[in-house]
Amino acid sequence: MAPAKEKSVWKRIAQSPRTVTLVWVLGLIIIWEAGATIVGFTKRTPENVLPHLYQILASVFSFKKVTATQTAAQVVIINAGITLGRAAIGFIIGTAVGYLLALFMRLFVAVEKIVFPYLMLIQMIPILGMAPIVLAMSHDIDKSRIIIAAILTFYPVAVNTLAGFKSIEEEKFELFHSYAATTPEVYIKMMIPSSIPYLFTGLKISAPMAVTASILVDTLQGGGGLGCMLSQSLKHAMSIYVFWQIVFFSAFVGILSYYLMVLLEKVVTPGRKIAVQKTGGNE
Amino acid sequence: MADVYEAGQTAGGVAETVSDSQPVKTQIVIQNLSVIYKDDGTRGDTVALQDVNLDIKKGEFVSLVGPSGCGKTTLLRVIADLIPATAGDVFISGLTPREARLEKRFGIVFQNPVLMDWRTIRRNVCLPLELLKMPKPLRTKKVTEMLDLVGLQEFGHHYPRELSGGMQQRVGIARALAIDPRILLMDEPFSALDEFTKEKLHEDLLHIWQQTNKTVVFVTHNIQEAVFLSDRVVVFSPHPGRVTSVVNITIPRPRTLSMKNTVEFTELVANVRSGFVGV
Amino acid sequence: MKKHIIKKEAVSTVVYPVVFGIILVVLWQTQILHHLLGTDTFTLPLPSRISSIIGDNIGVIMTNVQATVFVALAGLLFGSLLGFILAMVAAMSPHWGAGGLTIATAFNAIPIIAIAPIFTNLTKDFSSDPNVRSMFAKILVVMITCTVSMGINAYRGFTELKPFSLDLMKSYAAGRWTVFFKLRLPNCVPYIFTALRISVPGCVISAMVSEYFAEYIIGVGRQIRESIVLAQYSTAWAYIVTACLIGVVMYAVLLIVENILLKGRGIK
Repeated sequence: MAPAKEKSVWKRIAQSPRTVTLVWVLGLIIIWEAGATIVGFTKRTPENVLPHLYQILASVFSFKKVTATQTAAQVVIINAGITLGRAAIGFIIGTAVGYLLALFMRLFVAVEKIVFPYLMLIQMIPILGMAPIVLAMSHDIDKSRIIIAAILTFYPVAVNTLAGFKSIEEEKFELFHSYAATTPEVYIKMMIPSSIPYLFTGLKISAPMAVTASILVDTLQGGGGLGCMLSQSLKHAMSIYVFWQIVFFSAFVGILSYYLMVLLEKVVTPGRKIAVQKTGGNE
Repeated sequence: MADVYEAGQTAGGVAETVSDSQPVKTQIVIQNLSVIYKDDGTRGDTVALQDVNLDIKKGEFVSLVGPSGCGKTTLLRVIADLIPATAGDVFISGLTPREARLEKRFGIVFQNPVLMDWRTIRRNVCLPLELLKMPKPLRTKKVTEMLDLVGLQEFGHHYPRELSGGMQQRVGIARALAIDPRILLMDEPFSALDEFTKEKLHEDLLHIWQQTNKTVVFVTHNIQEAVFLSDRVVVFSPHPGRVTSVVNITIPRPRTLSMKNTVEFTELVANVRSGFVGV
Repeated sequence: MKKHIIKKEAVSTVVYPVVFGIILVVLWQTQILHHLLGTDTFTLPLPSRISSIIGDNIGVIMTNVQATVFVALAGLLFGSLLGFILAMVAAMSPHWGAGGLTIATAFNAIPIIAIAPIFTNLTKDFSSDPNVRSMFAKILVVMITCTVSMGINAYRGFTELKPFSLDLMKSYAAGRWTVFFKLRLPNCVPYIFTALRISVPGCVISAMVSEYFAEYIIGVGRQIRESIVLAQYSTAWAYIVTACLIGVVMYAVLLIVENILLKGRGIK
């Protein structure tokens, strides 16, 4: 009996999922460059519409100052710190509120019935449009920014956690019932741990949202942040390359925040299988 | 020869003498028990259990056998205080099911192991002990003892998902026994397993039972499993759910798998089967 | 009798939030809410004022509603179709498809605020009419969320088949396209609705946000911003209420359609 043939190294590389992703990325780069070239021929200021990727890359490393004191890259990085700081705070608050809300909705059926439709409603309002009103009501720009970031991030956490509570098998409850466990014991020892995977599903959606929310919120008023720089760059108050750098940077951070959640989940729940595939989309 | 009882008769009064003239106390007394689910608009009232009378002695291994929907699981759940009785009484050592439950007299093993996948095996077995507020050093000792009993000593620090179905179910049994309950209630615990694993677990279960002397109420739809494991087999029939026959299993203990090939075994299986009143 | 019991459950599910809503409106109108939040009737106008503004300006409001809904629906339609086709292609060659969808998910992580201006700029030459140009750009932006959502869910619908169903088809020597039409496509329908549950509210929000960046000033979202910039809070709130209504109505329509098409299929 002959043993199975070992696949050659090259074949294995060719068939791995990472290669597939790589090919896709390369394909996209080619399409972009092609588009940029076409645009370069037809427009007066092509970099406003679709610059070449190497141009964007060059701007990252250039020392040319785009404001009085900073290069393009510096602008992005410094403001990124501000934006991400706000994103983190909004994310933590949003998560806490979302989780607690789901917990209360599970504890008290009346709360669930009342809150659920309004929860959905909140998602349909363009919160960004409400931002100035929130500002006017809270009289504090930073507070209102955090409130808005928190609102935009708490929904996935709340919805997914609730789904988690509802998916617990009946036998787990019966088990605890047979041991005459008290309600706090049931929650602490069984329900809350059971909901953790669902919480993380929510967090994986919510983390990129927090970044998005924070950038959006920056645009409301001055005071730094990526969104602020974004709109200034669009209005040509500074080099358009700041805009492009921010675009790529925010995409990068969004994806990174997702994988950060995956990592966190692995650390928090070592015994479980972690799903890395995102489900659906969310804006 | 097997003793077959008609429905309604019990094996005797509260105390009954056995060959070595030691009185064996009845632990579970079920009298005229009925469980009726009220009409929900479709089919009229569902009589899950009708007028069941049964006495289960301390240390006895009793199987409840029948097809789906005949009330055997319902009876187990009434004993476990998971479902209320509509009429009749159940007493566990003189206590109602609720009182017995609050005194933590039961260990339950479900069809699926119901393990907490965020806890290691050791911590899964430890769970009821935590609920019992047992101090930590005692808990650790007990968990080790239980894992030894079911033969999973080396797997203490593994997670449930790393174990096979049979092993997970053994953890379920270890956990059920951890609080040293008087009564072990088992609801089709081996139904989801393959034949080979099942047979191994049958032997292990009998071994554990002999060592710990618990009263076992075992629900199954597998006649051979019931005959192999039990002292008595209670046969249920559906529509309405009721006891239609009780068969004494006279095969001597300790029992081995080879006993399944004897004529006596085959006859007992036939007796059980004939006690079933089909639809 | 069963109908009776079910009705009770459904009734309380509807009654509780409605009662809560009524209480909220009452608190609002009587300005108790304002005391609670520490605000005034200028930034938070009374419901009576809001409804009168809506009534007086219904014509203008409807024009804007039409613009927003048109963009949202067009984006939903084309985006979902595109996502569906991509999912089909990906399902046919799962090896490359899965990777493609991961990339698509990555696109979703880019904030809309970055994408919207790019598209606005890219489509500047599409037409000489700023309204049409803006419409095109906005629809493209809305399409992104819808494409990703539908793409991922449809792909799962095509590939997450019940165990052995594929084997069953093979045992009948069914060709790839037969398998597709008789097995994968019907399996996909619930997943399509899962996608729609996300993309219908999503397309409304995307449409409104993309209006901020568009050249032409039209649309419910844009009007909210414009009114706030001019400190006309009452008008802003009128449009906010309108936005909520659009979202609710569209989602309700989705649920009704879903109920009809998925009748008898079983649980969600």
